Amino acid sequence: MNSISISIVIINIILALLFSLGAAPILVWIERRVAGFIQDRMGPNRCHIKGIRLGGLIQSFADMLKLVFKEDFEASGIKESFFFSLAPVIVFCSAFLTFMVMPFADNLKIGAQVFYMQGLPIDLGVLWFLAFAGLSVYGIMLGGWASNNKYSLLGSIRAGAQVISYEAAMGLSLVSVLITYGSIHLVDIVNFQGKLLFGFIPAWGIIIQPLAAIIFIVTAFAEANRTPFDIAEGESELVGGFHTEYSAMRFGLFFVGEYVAMSASSALIVTLFFGGYHLPWLNTQVLQNHITWVLAFIMIALPTVSFFFSKWMFNNNRWLEEGNIRNRESKLLFKVIIGINLLVILGLGFWLSLGVEEIGANIATAVIQVSTFAIKLLLMNFVFVWVRWTLPRFRYDQLQDLGWKILMPLAIANIVLTATIVVVFGV
Amino acid sequence: MDMIFLILSFFAIAGAVGMVLAHQPVHSALSLILTIIALAGLFALLSASFLFMVQIIVYAGAVITLFIFIIMFLNVKEANLPKEPNKNITIFLGFIGLLPLNFLILKALYHMPSKALVLSQNGFGEIKSLGMELFEKWLLPFELISILLLVALIGAVVFGRKEEG
Repeated sequence: MNSISISIVIINIILALLFSLGAAPILVWIERRVAGFIQDRMGPNRCHIKGIRLGGLIQSFADMLKLVFKEDFEASGIKESFFFSLAPVIVFCSAFLTFMVMPFADNLKIGAQVFYMQGLPIDLGVLWFLAFAGLSVYGIMLGGWASNNKYSLLGSIRAGAQVISYEAAMGLSLVSVLITYGSIHLVDIVNFQGKLLFGFIPAWGIIIQPLAAIIFIVTAFAEANRTPFDIAEGESELVGGFHTEYSAMRFGLFFVGEYVAMSASSALIVTLFFGGYHLPWLNTQVLQNHITWVLAFIMIALPTVSFFFSKWMFNNNRWLEEGNIRNRESKLLFKVIIGINLLVILGLGFWLSLGVEEIGANIATAVIQVSTFAIKLLLMNFVFVWVRWTLPRFRYDQLQDLGWKILMPLAIANIVLTATIVVVFGV
Repeated sequence: MDMIFLILSFFAIAGAVGMVLAHQPVHSALSLILTIIALAGLFALLSASFLFMVQIIVYAGAVITLFIFIIMFLNVKEANLPKEPNKNITIFLGFIGLLPLNFLILKALYHMPSKALVLSQNGFGEIKSLGMELFEKWLLPFELISILLLVALIGAVVFGRKEEG
């Protein structure tokens, strides 16, 4: 262990924290604003710190503070106090652990050392996800059971049945994906997708395994307990389902755990089917070979994007009265944007004039890939939110029918099809 | 390494004891999960990574979920649980009965030649080497077991199906 490897391990853990835990307030914000726009209203946007609203993002922090300082109430009917407290911890920890094998960038090579760019440097990939995503249901079942009331118990029973039935379809859809990629290690899977199909289409999972992608995405929704599969909490039938009795931070852990699980599911979907950390047509090798051009492109693209963003911001985020506190945000953000632009352009220009060496090229590639992964992750999370506010909840029998009678036969047929193609054509 | 082994073994044994002693069925099932996860950890210590994952996915993730699901589905009240008046005596008798077996195992262990534990070859316990071994040397037994599982699966469907008409 030298200083480089220690610092990279620390960076990886911070990145994993940022993408899972740090994403939670942003996801809550996205959820509320998107819900607002879909229902033709604005969503929360008034909360501010000295005029800084960031489009309503501050609301999430206010909410978190509220959850922390609320009274942690426990109903007198709860006899199993230990399990009652343990349940949210299980949900949160298992959701958090699932995120730990997602690669943020290709293996980073510094000198003779090669580092995995993921929270835990292990190559168990997909299996790790399946294992810990399956464990999170214990939290829900335990919480509902320990709450000692009928609605909560019904919620836990539903959650248990749902996870058992959808895990089968999820596992089977993954089998065909693994046959195609020939590895369970997520870095290998992403590098496979960096190739080109017929010379011009990126070989992303969604293109070579469309059926498996659809089945996996549907089951991932069920696994993350998101609408249209959130019958475990189904507030129209079960009050609040498994978390009816929870309040304050114990509820907060359930709440954050749901978003972390959603983020982990999105990360796996992105990694398996949408090229992971690769930009389309630019895999790691191409990026490293043409790093000077890519950096030069960033130096041109960043000011252009900033210009249009600032224009949009000044058009939309303003108040008629001159001295009003609401007018301060746009000016301040504009200064921040100019600062970032100057910093990036000067820094990159200085670096380019010195000449980019191999280690520098590798690190720059890793940074670009981490940003690509972050953007794809955010887009996939947006899809989760979008679906939640578009589709109504499934009825319980419809949910089981879909799982056992449609998704599972389709997944098995897909395995047979994939195996036949792989054996006949030898790809 | 030794410390991790001790902690994991402690949890495995504690879970097993709790599973037998607990009065509530849910507590028993939860203790069983503890044992299974601790066993998975022991597999990981032996660098059998595939076994480690399968243990968690299949046993902790699916089988015990099913157990707990059924227990919750029945929703047994505290008053309806069977009374166990002779519990302590039964446990004591069971303990006495198992002692000879424990001595036998311990004796066998001490008679084994001591050997430094090293990985037998590179890639031991990983998925690829395990799959190669399974499908090259043990293909027929593997397929026979698969057929057995398939028969059990179809049998469950036949039993669970409602009679037509």
